[in-house]
Amino acid sequence: MRVAYYKGCLASLSAKELDTSTQALAPKLGIELDELESVTCCGAGDIHEAEPDYYLHLNARILAYAEATGSDTLMTICNVCTLNLRQANHMLQNDEALMKRVSDNLEAVGAPPYSGGVEVKHFLWLIAAGEGYDRLKSVAHKGLKGLKVAPFYGCQILRPSKLLGFEDPDRPSSLEAIIEACGGEAIDYPAKIKCCGFPIIQAREETALNELIQPIEQSMEAGADAMVTPCPLCHLSLDAWQQKLEASTGRSFGMPILHLSQLIGVAAGLEDSELRFRRHVVSMDPVLEKVEAP
Amino acid sequence: MATELQTNGGGVTLGAMDVVLKIWRSDAETGERSLERYEVTVGEEATLLDCLDVVKDKVDGTLAYRKSCRMMICGSCGMRLDGRAVLACKERMKPYVDRGHVPVVSPMGNLPVVRDLVVDMGPFWSKIRAVKPWLDTGYQEHPEGEFRHSQQAMNPIHKESLCIMCGCCVSECNSMEADPEFLGPAALAKGFRFVGDPRDRGKIERLEALNEEHGIWDCTRCYFCNERCPKGVDPRDAIAKLGAESIEAGIDRDMGAKHAKWFVRSAETTGWLRETELVPKTQGLAEAIRQTKFAVSLAKRGKVPLPFPPHVAKDVREARMLRELVRSQGRTGAAGHIQGERALSRIEHVLHDDPEKAPASRIAPEKARG
Ligand code: SF4
Ligand code: SF4
Ligand code: FES
Repeated sequence: MRVAYYKGCLASLSAKELDTSTQALAPKLGIELDELESVTCCGAGDIHEAEPDYYLHLNARILAYAEATGSDTLMTICNVCTLNLRQANHMLQNDEALMKRVSDNLEAVGAPPYSGGVEVKHFLWLIAAGEGYDRLKSVAHKGLKGLKVAPFYGCQILRPSKLLGFEDPDRPSSLEAIIEACGGEAIDYPAKIKCCGFPIIQAREETALNELIQPIEQSMEAGADAMVTPCPLCHLSLDAWQQKLEASTGRSFGMPILHLSQLIGVAAGLEDSELRFRRHVVSMDPVLEKVEAP
Repeated sequence: MATELQTNGGGVTLGAMDVVLKIWRSDAETGERSLERYEVTVGEEATLLDCLDVVKDKVDGTLAYRKSCRMMICGSCGMRLDGRAVLACKERMKPYVDRGHVPVVSPMGNLPVVRDLVVDMGPFWSKIRAVKPWLDTGYQEHPEGEFRHSQQAMNPIHKESLCIMCGCCVSECNSMEADPEFLGPAALAKGFRFVGDPRDRGKIERLEALNEEHGIWDCTRCYFCNERCPKGVDPRDAIAKLGAESIEAGIDRDMGAKHAKWFVRSAETTGWLRETELVPKTQGLAEAIRQTKFAVSLAKRGKVPLPFPPHVAKDVREARMLRELVRSQGRTGAAGHIQGERALSRIEHVLHDDPEKAPASRIAPEKARG
């Protein structure tokens, strides 16, 4: 299947490894990516909160460029982009007058109009069901050798479920299904559906770290070798801010954090230059040693 | 065993069912807790509250829980069912029986447990009081006649007015768990109910107060409150409305507001987030310098992209022009959020009924609370 691909800010900047691993992996799973060029940031929760009408238009513009590619699916690789784009899409698709005003505005500045013909789907959803999932097992031929992986969903791919709705927000199972299809063992722990603290990590660091510690600590106690997340913002707080958590608690965690595309990528035997683990703060070596062991 | 039959007021015959429940009991004095199993026979239409009533009447009169209206109006019966905060009088038990699943009932989170399923609502009410939940009319003398307001003028606070103060949102709020002083979703929704009221004269003062340390910018956008609220208040959306109103009114001293404004600035200048400048723009230059060691550790991993040359999106001019155009159309502040509500209310809530797996996130909220 051919999809319009929106990578968002982080995968273009500090999480380039997410983009390279996604681009390398998607075709193997039968997903052909048509990368959008003339698009901007979705505004995260920030523009949504500060200037909601501008948020709606920025997201409509991304949807419009996706529609212009002729594809009916816009693929995202970030929880926040997913919620933002789906919310804007729902608002427009269910309100003709709003759609007209926004689409006219887009045309007025030289962007394509939008008619509501695109559905926004996270990469996770394309792999966890249907054809993508069928292909997964053969693609993940190298396997994860029973690696114990703690799935971390993050918030905005689950809640509000009326806008996301791919799976039960309280008992999600898509990441578990993928971990197992790749030959790993999925670890269960309560905080896997809770917040990583990222949205307030700069403005309220202490509060955010009190949130961040839960998934890391619980995964560790449950015996996880690594964690996996479908969101680059969760990845940033779990990976890059883990050192701050270690400094503030005086404990050592050393929990390696994988992007979803990297987890499957390891099992599928992607190249180092595609996985780019050197861009992580917490070393991935223990994981790779376990997986590469004869 | 739907053998017993009973008749409701309308003369319709309903079957009976056996419900098995596990309830977290606790001793008020010692705080000692135990998970107890109960089995009751109730009508097929029974709610969780009906089952608790039968437990209390027929099995164990010492079970403590709150209730009053039995019809989702009073907000007394908030508790957790399989780890989710619910109104006991709203949750039907038949689906659980049909699946053969034994649910666990426990008290709400983020509030001190008094006994069994009863929590101390004191902290909840003190936060509601802190947002001055009354109308500031701006006059002392009684006016001559009544003031008239159209329904339309009141529509912007329709959703927030639906709150029954049950505490289900507060129970699951991730920021409140991490910072117990956070005002939290219910109080902030109440805050917008008055900020957005066209009759109120205290808007700016209110916004100033809600921008204090444990106010709106504490929210981590976990969306648990929207997910759980049994009345469709969507407290997270109310907080976003307060953020939009604050920034529109120039109340932007909080780091949260500065963070949000930098995203706007980035979008209209380069199109993409100017990530590296986000720290000094949010926390100030002095703090950014104090954080140098941390920044260097990230830079080594390529996580501090150089701001020059800027990473500029193709056709970013469109994004810049859009902002000007949109601002000229006047849907600023909370109006920008409210315009989408009618469309969003048309979406049905998806029901997930997968019975089998009940992983830790559902069955052990107590563990999650630590
Ligand atoms: S906002 Fe909803 S969940 Fe929260 S107290 Fe009000 S009615 Fe209850
Ligand atoms: S979205 Fe904000 S207010 Fe709502 S539960 Fe999460 S942190 Fe609390
Ligand atoms: S008893 Fe009143 S809301 Fe449930």
